[in-house]
Amino acid sequence: MEGVSYQRFPRVKIRELKDDYAKFELGDTDASMANALRRVMIAEVPTIAIDLVEIEVNSSVLNDEFIAHRLGLIPLTSEKAMSMRFSRDCDACDGDGQCEYCSVEFHLRAKCMGDQTLDVTSKDLISSDHNVVPVDLADSYAYDSSDQQRGIIIVKLRRGQELRLRAIARKGIGKDHAKWSPAATVTFMYEPEIHINEDLMETLTLAERQAWVESSPTKVFDLDEATGQLKGCLLLQEVVVVDHEAYTYDEEVIKKAEAMGKPGLVEIYGKEDSFIFTVESTGAIKASQMVLNAIEVLKQKLDAVRLSEDTVEADDQFGELGAHMRGG
Amino acid sequence: MGKQSMGNIAYNELCRMDTLLYLLVYPQRPLLTTRTIELVGYDKLGAGQNATVAVMSYSGYDIEDAIVMNKSSLDRGFGRCIVMKKYSAINQKYENNTSDRILRPDRTGPAAERMQILDNDGIAAPGEIIRPNDIYINKESPIETRGTMVSSTGQSDSKYRPTRQTYKGPEGETCVVDRVALCSDKNNSLCIKFLIRHTRRPEVGDKFSSRHGQKGVCGTIIQQEDFPFSERGICPDLIMNPHGFPSRMTVGKMIELLGGKAGVSCGRFHYGSAFGEPSGHADKVETISETLVRHGFSYSGKDLIYSGISGCPLQAYIFMGPIYYQKLKHMVLDKMHARGSGPRVMLTRQPTEGRARNGGLRVGEMERDCLIAYGASMLIFERLMISSDPFEVQVLAHACYKGLYHLLHCTLQDNIYLVPQVCRVCGLLGYYNHKLKAGICSTCKNGDNISTMKLPYACKLLIQIWEAFLLYL
Repeated sequence: MEGVSYQRFPRVKIRELKDDYAKFELGDTDASMANALRRVMIAEVPTIAIDLVEIEVNSSVLNDEFIAHRLGLIPLTSEKAMSMRFSRDCDACDGDGQCEYCSVEFHLRAKCMGDQTLDVTSKDLISSDHNVVPVDLADSYAYDSSDQQRGIIIVKLRRGQELRLRAIARKGIGKDHAKWSPAATVTFMYEPEIHINEDLMETLTLAERQAWVESSPTKVFDLDEATGQLKGCLLLQEVVVVDHEAYTYDEEVIKKAEAMGKPGLVEIYGKEDSFIFTVESTGAIKASQMVLNAIEVLKQKLDAVRLSEDTVEADDQFGELGAHMRGG
Repeated sequence: MGKQSMGNIAYNELCRMDTLLYLLVYPQRPLLTTRTIELVGYDKLGAGQNATVAVMSYSGYDIEDAIVMNKSSLDRGFGRCIVMKKYSAINQKYENNTSDRILRPDRTGPAAERMQILDNDGIAAPGEIIRPNDIYINKESPIETRGTMVSSTGQSDSKYRPTRQTYKGPEGETCVVDRVALCSDKNNSLCIKFLIRHTRRPEVGDKFSSRHGQKGVCGTIIQQEDFPFSERGICPDLIMNPHGFPSRMTVGKMIELLGGKAGVSCGRFHYGSAFGEPSGHADKVETISETLVRHGFSYSGKDLIYSGISGCPLQAYIFMGPIYYQKLKHMVLDKMHARGSGPRVMLTRQPTEGRARNGGLRVGEMERDCLIAYGASMLIFERLMISSDPFEVQVLAHACYKGLYHLLHCTLQDNIYLVPQVCRVCGLLGYYNHKLKAGICSTCKNGDNISTMKLPYACKLLIQIWEAFLLYL
């Protein structure tokens, strides 16, 4: 096969970027690439999360494991996670995971003295490293930062109850435990391509058009006010695609067209080389950083394949692909 | 909601001392209720969790009602439960005015390691992690409990023997002493109760059920990235096989899925009853479906789903939405069992029965029939004798195959090793005389024709019972 190349030059077009949200287009590639990126974001981008809890005093209503589990799920700001060491291969502490290179220590001391219930929240966790602190969405958003908005509730204490503990946060990946996954949502869709058969559409009355437009659960089509006025009558407003990405491949409009006796009124198919990604982060790292880290992790994985002796030996299995990955 | 499900049991659940208590870590209120549920306040005490269910086939580990679970959901607390079990110890009083005593633990010595969780009063401390073989009460009992009255205090240490109680829980699991209660029982002696807590996350083999009697065990647990996802980013917690529907006709479950999905999108708890639509005690499926369409879902409740493994859209639309799922109290951890060699019953010398007694797995009548039909004679021989209750007897056997001697020849032709030490004259059981170092037949009063043979102990028992009423084999 002459001229066939595995090389691709994916193209990214950013639509929307917020701290914890990103929407972008990944083009000129195929589903394997898009899915690899998604999978890595969910399972292999490292973050920091509480992994070990030593409870000194706990007279709250929740038991020790319960609190430990809740602490583990609190997202911690993990910008430095990529450069941190996994405690299992940390040389400085022989893998016991209690040194500055691979862990961050937290302390929590709370006691309810008053008559009112005391909310122990993630804000009460005192970190030993100011780079690694519990995520607080109220900081980044302009919520009215009143006293109510105080982080993630861990437990509530009544008068006389006390909670005192020491926690160690470590680097990890989402594959081991979901608490290390930086992704709240990572998903993609094939970019739809919608073609309205104008000739068939002409044959529809306004009421029919209206009904057809409304048959879609999401607002993909609409009647164009402008064209209707242009033609001097409100009766024949043209159907236009307002938001082709709102289409959820539900085929409701196609079914509706068939029910109306006009099959082929609209043709919709997904572009196989363009994906619209929606990425939401837990706050541990910025959504944009999450994508970049995922690409980095993916690169490392490919390097591992490329540099391993096995791929050379298994050349008959990988063939051209193996040679390509070695840069040949 | 029923007898087997877990959840909150009562508002005072954490102040009770039940023998066995199953609690859910994060119970939820069902998204789809009925008027009756509201009237009796059933939704005030959660008995399950709202799981996003995708009705599809996945991985093949979902056949026969099994369900596939999402590992990330489990990590985040889905189906996590607390099992509390009570262990008690009584500080017994005896006839001769003596009583048990509880000693401070040995901090050095051979038993020190097993006594780590004990407080200085010799009773396990609340909050301590307890492992199998740990001692939770360092108790001693008097050797002499009857006879003359003894003053209750002045007994020397030698008059006591240790009756420590050791914890026997699942191996490799960490349980915690939740609470210790001291009280007096009906004989007015001190009774110490320990509540031991174990938090479990679901594992393969744990049983779950929806509220429609659709029970199933967890067939496999799969990583979130391998799970299918929708373009909204919804990833199911659970995958259920569609073959559960046609024969069972649980339409209610489908309505629950639709109603739950409409409920989460519009923010109102819907009613899932099939009756009472005119009076507003039930929501019609049409109105539910219209709510779905209003919020951008398809009318039928089906979504386009992408495969998490390949990233390609699945060919079919998948019926997906929240269904209230209960965790049932049947968990593999309490049931799994295997044994190599182990304890035997005294009477028959056969392996014990049942998990609690570390028993063997029986090759029953039907299994035996299969082996006979297959002709696996050596396997039957091994299962029914070697691995069960082999026994050697001294038998007096008659030259013409008589009695046991005959039986022996049928099973073991090789009489080089197993020259049957059976009396070859009368064919009855003899015994081995250790003084003479020879087998003796008590009927013939000599040891001339004695042979040994192997037979199941239960068989020997039967022969002797028969002999007792003069029935000779």
